[in-house]
Amino acid sequence: MLRAMKRYTLSIVAVVIVGIYLFPIYWMYATSFKGPMEAMLYPPTLWPRDMVSNHWDVFNGRDMPRYFWNSIVITAGTLAITVTVGTGSAYALSLKRNLWVEVALFSILLMQALPPSLMVTPLFVMFNYAGLLDTPRLAVILALAGKSLPFYIVICRSAFLGIPKDLREAALVDGSSNVGVFLWIVIPLARNAILVAATLLGIQAMGDYVYSASFIYDQKLQPLTLGLANYVGVSKTDWAGIMTYSSIMVTPILLTFMLLQRRLVSGLTAGALK
Amino acid sequence: MVQVILDDVSKSFGAFKALTDVSVRIAERQFVALIGPSGCGKSTLLRTIAGLDDISGGRIHIGDTVVNDLPPRLRDVAMVFQSYALYPHMNVEANLTYALRVQRRPKTERRRAAEEVAVVLGLEQLLDRFPRELSGGQRQRVAMGRAIIRQPKVFLFDEPLSNLDAELRVRMRAEIRALHDRLKATSIYVTHDQVEAMTMADHIVVLKAGRVEQQGHPLDLYDRPANRFVAGFIGSPSMNFLPGFIGEDGQSVALDGMDVQFPLPGRAEPGLPVDVGIRPEHLTITDSTGSNVLPIQTSLVEATGAQMIVHGRTARGDIVTVVVNGRTPLFHGDRFGLKVRALDATPGAPPALHVFDSKDGRAVAR
Repeated sequence: MLRAMKRYTLSIVAVVIVGIYLFPIYWMYATSFKGPMEAMLYPPTLWPRDMVSNHWDVFNGRDMPRYFWNSIVITAGTLAITVTVGTGSAYALSLKRNLWVEVALFSILLMQALPPSLMVTPLFVMFNYAGLLDTPRLAVILALAGKSLPFYIVICRSAFLGIPKDLREAALVDGSSNVGVFLWIVIPLARNAILVAATLLGIQAMGDYVYSASFIYDQKLQPLTLGLANYVGVSKTDWAGIMTYSSIMVTPILLTFMLLQRRLVSGLTAGALK
Repeated sequence: MVQVILDDVSKSFGAFKALTDVSVRIAERQFVALIGPSGCGKSTLLRTIAGLDDISGGRIHIGDTVVNDLPPRLRDVAMVFQSYALYPHMNVEANLTYALRVQRRPKTERRRAAEEVAVVLGLEQLLDRFPRELSGGQRQRVAMGRAIIRQPKVFLFDEPLSNLDAELRVRMRAEIRALHDRLKATSIYVTHDQVEAMTMADHIVVLKAGRVEQQGHPLDLYDRPANRFVAGFIGSPSMNFLPGFIGEDGQSVALDGMDVQFPLPGRAEPGLPVDVGIRPEHLTITDSTGSNVLPIQTSLVEATGAQMIVHGRTARGDIVTVVVNGRTPLFHGDRFGLKVRALDATPGAPPALHVFDSKDGRAVAR
């Protein structure tokens, strides 16, 4: 009896906490279907009274395709650099264990500890000198890749460490070169970890605001996050519009997450049990 | 033609010497076992032959080539790992044909080769399975198949049977040896199990602390161990050692604290303190208390069915083990006598015992 109660209590607590976390997302979707008047109504309506969909208008009227394209360019560029550079470095750092590796790992983690708002000023100065601000999306990509690499390297390295040495050696004896071992044995076996890290970092790049706001002035090159910020006016704010915009922006991310969900979970727990 | 020659091979990890001047000549089609206790360097030696570890000194020849500086893929050797090291993300067929894929052999050829190997090893039904869906014995077979599909110059086995249960181990032992004979292969086999080495190998190399203690035909090692270590390592249950000394004539040996004296086949320094080694299977239980009988008190009797293994102590407290074929009515605490059998049936044949210098362990008076 007591045990059953304990179980129910915990379940209820869990449901409540999940509810609190997910409520804003619900609120966003609900508001996106309300008209501008109903959105400001007090007390608010939990469920839209008369469903209005402004999604198509917002999508076109707010130039969302262009913002989407810029976000995708920035995300894809960041991931391309992070995955190519990071997978190789993580593998190199997983093969040996010595003082230099420790130093490298420590400095990598140190990079991770520095917040973007702190990094943005020196980066701005550097990029300005280097002339990178003429290609602002590339500047953002480089800054984001620098921010993403530490996390990516740490995750991938631990996945590589989990691959038994015997497998690599068996492949070497079977006639593989070192590059062959890396491409056909190590990477396929670390596939899930790579996928998890890339997904999380992709979402992070998609949501970047600080670097984009600091480096990209030309509205034609700005990503979704800046497009959203443009909504906030000085005197009045169109909340229904913002929520509509946000829901369009977030839906593809949520869909990706759901499609990859099973792999993500197995990737996060892989290696937990030997 | 000699296939694999190890010339004074040495290997050190920093200050630690894993291998010291190991020299072995392995003829074509020979089955060689490397044995020794854990940490003796046998696996390291195998890895240096495979090219997975560099050597610090000496030379390794495979065929006519010195392979010291060649990477594993250019040595044309195949290796079966203790963990089997099957690629978890590939099915059995892909595991078997991995080496052929690396060599970019055409798909039809790979398929045919996989099927041939599958027939040899009884894996026909399993080609589409993944390693995680196989039993231990099946994984072991796939690991073997991955080695034989390449028809390499040399097969290397690193304790391939140690993860199998006892029954399967005995069966695979015979199968691996049969496979070796059929493929006319040259095999180097690492094991810590001396029974495996004795039953499978043409040539045994006994290693201890990175040095070769003795090498030769299995029965030579059993009959004429060069030192106390080899004598104790080869044979099961292992040899009994009793302290003694060489008689004044230099041609006999006496046991400490017992009124027994045995003739020796050779000569040794009179009065030399020695360890007298007698195999458990060379002792017979007797009731008599006549001359040259060792008085023993039973401490433990183990029955295997076909044999009984009797453990006892001498008056001095040294432990003695005896293997008795059939049954014996002995129980804990019973006193009995032991006689040492003669080496062979000829009249006047010397007793089947070995004498080792108690200081350096070397065999004397052989």
